[in-house]
Amino acid sequence: MRYLPSSPVEDRALLDIIGVPDAEALLVGIPEPLRLKRELDLPTQGSEQEVAWQMMALANKNTRFCAQFLGAGAYDHFVPSAIDAMVGRQEWFTAYTPYQPEISQGTLQHIFEYQTLICDLTGLEVTNASLYDGGTACVEAALMAVRVAKKRNTVLVSRGLHPMYRDVLNTNFDPHDELHLVEVGLKDGVTDMADLQAKLHGDVAAVLVGYPNFLGAVEDLTALAGPIHAAGALLVSVTQEAFAFGWFEAPGKVGADMACGEAMSLGNKPNYGGPFLGFLAVKDAHKREIPGRVVGQTKDLDGRTGYVLTLTAREQHIRRDKATSNICSNQGLVALRANIFMQLAGPEGLRGLAEQNAAKAQYLRQRLLELPDMEAVPGQPFFNEFVLRYKGDMAALQEACLKESLLPGLDLGRFYPEYAGCILWCATELHTRQMIESLVEILARVPATV
Amino acid sequence: MFLRQREPLIFERSVPGKRGMDLAKLDVPAAQDTRPAHLRRSGFDAMPELSEVEVIRHFTRLSKWNYGVDDGIYPLGSCTMKHNPRLNEKVAGMPGFTDSHPMAPDALVQGNLELLYTLQEWLKEITGLPGVTLQPSAGAAGELTGVMLIRAYHVAKGAKRRVILIPDSGHGTNPATAAMAGYEVVELPSLPDGTIAFDDVTDPVNGKVRKGLSTLVRELGTEIAGAMITNPNTVGVFEYRFQEISDLLHSVDALVYMDGANMNALVGVARPGDFGVDVMHLNLHKTMSTPHGGGGPGAGPVCCGANLMPFLPVPVVVRDTVKVGEGEVPRHSYRMDWDQPRSIGKVHTFYGNFGILVRALTYCLSHGSDGLKAATLRAIVNANYIRARLKGAYALHIDSPSLHEVVFSDTNQARHDVHTLDIAKRLIDHGYHPPTIYFPLIVPGALMIEPTESEGKDELDAFCDTMLQIAKEAEEDPDALHQAPTLAPLRRMDETTAARKPVLRWKKA
Repeated sequence: MRYLPSSPVEDRALLDIIGVPDAEALLVGIPEPLRLKRELDLPTQGSEQEVAWQMMALANKNTRFCAQFLGAGAYDHFVPSAIDAMVGRQEWFTAYTPYQPEISQGTLQHIFEYQTLICDLTGLEVTNASLYDGGTACVEAALMAVRVAKKRNTVLVSRGLHPMYRDVLNTNFDPHDELHLVEVGLKDGVTDMADLQAKLHGDVAAVLVGYPNFLGAVEDLTALAGPIHAAGALLVSVTQEAFAFGWFEAPGKVGADMACGEAMSLGNKPNYGGPFLGFLAVKDAHKREIPGRVVGQTKDLDGRTGYVLTLTAREQHIRRDKATSNICSNQGLVALRANIFMQLAGPEGLRGLAEQNAAKAQYLRQRLLELPDMEAVPGQPFFNEFVLRYKGDMAALQEACLKESLLPGLDLGRFYPEYAGCILWCATELHTRQMIESLVEILARVPATV
Repeated sequence: MFLRQREPLIFERSVPGKRGMDLAKLDVPAAQDTRPAHLRRSGFDAMPELSEVEVIRHFTRLSKWNYGVDDGIYPLGSCTMKHNPRLNEKVAGMPGFTDSHPMAPDALVQGNLELLYTLQEWLKEITGLPGVTLQPSAGAAGELTGVMLIRAYHVAKGAKRRVILIPDSGHGTNPATAAMAGYEVVELPSLPDGTIAFDDVTDPVNGKVRKGLSTLVRELGTEIAGAMITNPNTVGVFEYRFQEISDLLHSVDALVYMDGANMNALVGVARPGDFGVDVMHLNLHKTMSTPHGGGGPGAGPVCCGANLMPFLPVPVVVRDTVKVGEGEVPRHSYRMDWDQPRSIGKVHTFYGNFGILVRALTYCLSHGSDGLKAATLRAIVNANYIRARLKGAYALHIDSPSLHEVVFSDTNQARHDVHTLDIAKRLIDHGYHPPTIYFPLIVPGALMIEPTESEGKDELDAFCDTMLQIAKEAEEDPDALHQAPTLAPLRRMDETTAARKPVLRWKKA
């Protein structure tokens, strides 16, 4: 086994110093009846060559596409080469959590910079070192809002939130009989103000709203903040496409009290849904309720500036069952990718990429609407995703696209019965005009309504 | 490492007008601005402006202030800092995996689904438990999933119950998890050997009586939903009465959750499903060598018994066998089964940290059944070698046979006013990452050392020699240890001020 530094002579020397005849003798602490009396019924070891081939064969069983017009919470963006090169340094990817600050300043300073940039993106004041993904970030945000709001036990969730985020919220709220999740409906693709106002009351701790929402539409946070704040609740914006922060105003500047969501777009590939990057940014007044690891700046004994994990009295390893969350391991290396991405992009890059995404999506929508079977649905300004109704045969469309190695948008009927027959399309800076024209050309040939 | 004393914050290097990323030429008409005026992005306050070379130098210099597994032994107990094979990284970066979309129809991601299914099969055989979900992103997420399964089991039987029992030696995530799942935590006391006490334990200092497992089961009975037990426990000792613990809990239909953080001691040697465990998580970033990444991402799959399988998170990866003619090899197809009416629901937006699961299966295939067992045995040999070489110089608080890690106490050194923190910081001066310190809480001044199977005799000897030298320094020059580290880029940090007056981001002056 190539990973074990084992040789008969050295192994013997180790065992002699320990004073046992063989390694099995060290299992004495495991009662005999509880031991496995056979070998594991699994294949035996594989050489690097064999395993590389086996895994390559699996990778090749996935269908490859010339272009994917599918977003829905996992976005395909360009990843600068510098990111893989940096993250591939063993000092970054093999290191442990920076509990020993003197020997972990690299990771700690990076997290401090990352925190700064997430706060900048969201227009809020405090964030943490990362959460697992968009769905679990919503859970942490909702639970934190309940702690902050004190004695309010209802969380309103817009139907415009990613359906899988809502699933994860439901799973995690289910054990809490005292807490209630209530859905707020949609009107014209955004949160229905009348339904929201009807459901706002003195027990509502927070309202979670997509920004932009799952249907791609931007929610007017300023307008929503009025009644929400008047009811004494917190407005939580949930962003599943971080590139939108280069297009729409930072949620913290237009009324959001907390911003959470998914930042995988910053330097990652879709990766079949993970590892992704959950984030949560909050106001300074609420910092002691935030879950997860937080890095702070301080001085060493000689007065030199350095960084440490701080506010640890919130965390599970100190506070145990009174902690703000059970989170320990987070998405550290994905946060590093996002940090490098943002530093490379800078303000102009983030703005420019956002403009390109908006331009490509607008062009895609315009071209698709020229097809007789595509129809606009009422909606609000969008970023890089939008909904169109398709009057043709969805299966035929799917088949025609796949035959030409194009992955079409999401069939929305699976998640929103009221949008049956509608498709959620996505375009990013990766979609060339030619890809868009090919898609339109292929769709034009799909047989008319069955 | 440590070539430069200081790399400024990137914000201090920013110069307006610099670019680290060029955009492709826009080949469609420019975007029309359809945004309401108040929702237009106004600007950024901190986003820096630098060239690519400056960003690369920044992260390269910062990296040199870190310590990685390739730098040497990383003896953090309970963290299992083993070698991170480069093959795993290469495989996880294959475009067939990285470009695949989580919303793509199952027929287009057969490779991913087969991979997930295969990894599940490996984990089932390794743990002896028939149900698996790969969704949880980390150990704590796995714990939460497991406890929610326990809750669903009881709810299905009519009552969710109230209490989760957790030993005082358990990881902090255990009680935090139980609370997040809506349970009340009742602590189980340990015996002097670190194992769970069946009988009541009287505290020698304050005379307080703490109820043992037998009393708690008798008194709380069906109020107990389950117990969360780390095995081997956090002092590296196998709970040798585990079967009795399981039987006792099962007698009141309470379930047994095993925290699999220390599974590196058991793979191929003993299977939790064979000694009464109902549900457990594995930390693939420990046991299966996926990198720790400076804090994550990890993966915390949950394995469970048949009694909990109906409640597993959706979707479940299943295999269908396509009927073929006689004499032909059967063909399989894979799919996500969303039709699980009793499921607790989703615990991850999509299907978990897929890229980490790719690495874990690569590790499994590389090791095979024989390599997995050899790794376990070597990890146990390495820990016992360190134990043999350091006992005497360092106090062994618990003398029971230990497996993959060994926990010393600072009581010998405390006589010279040298404490665990001083020893840890002095190790940094000698070029080592310190062990886990002050955990578990049941050992005074704990130094918890887990070398893993990755260390050869030379590396172990060099580490032990250093530890022995530090023990000598503690006697001869204790004050030098109080000053440590002096050779790292920074000396000890003022953590109190950091927490009292938190500075959590850079602000423009």
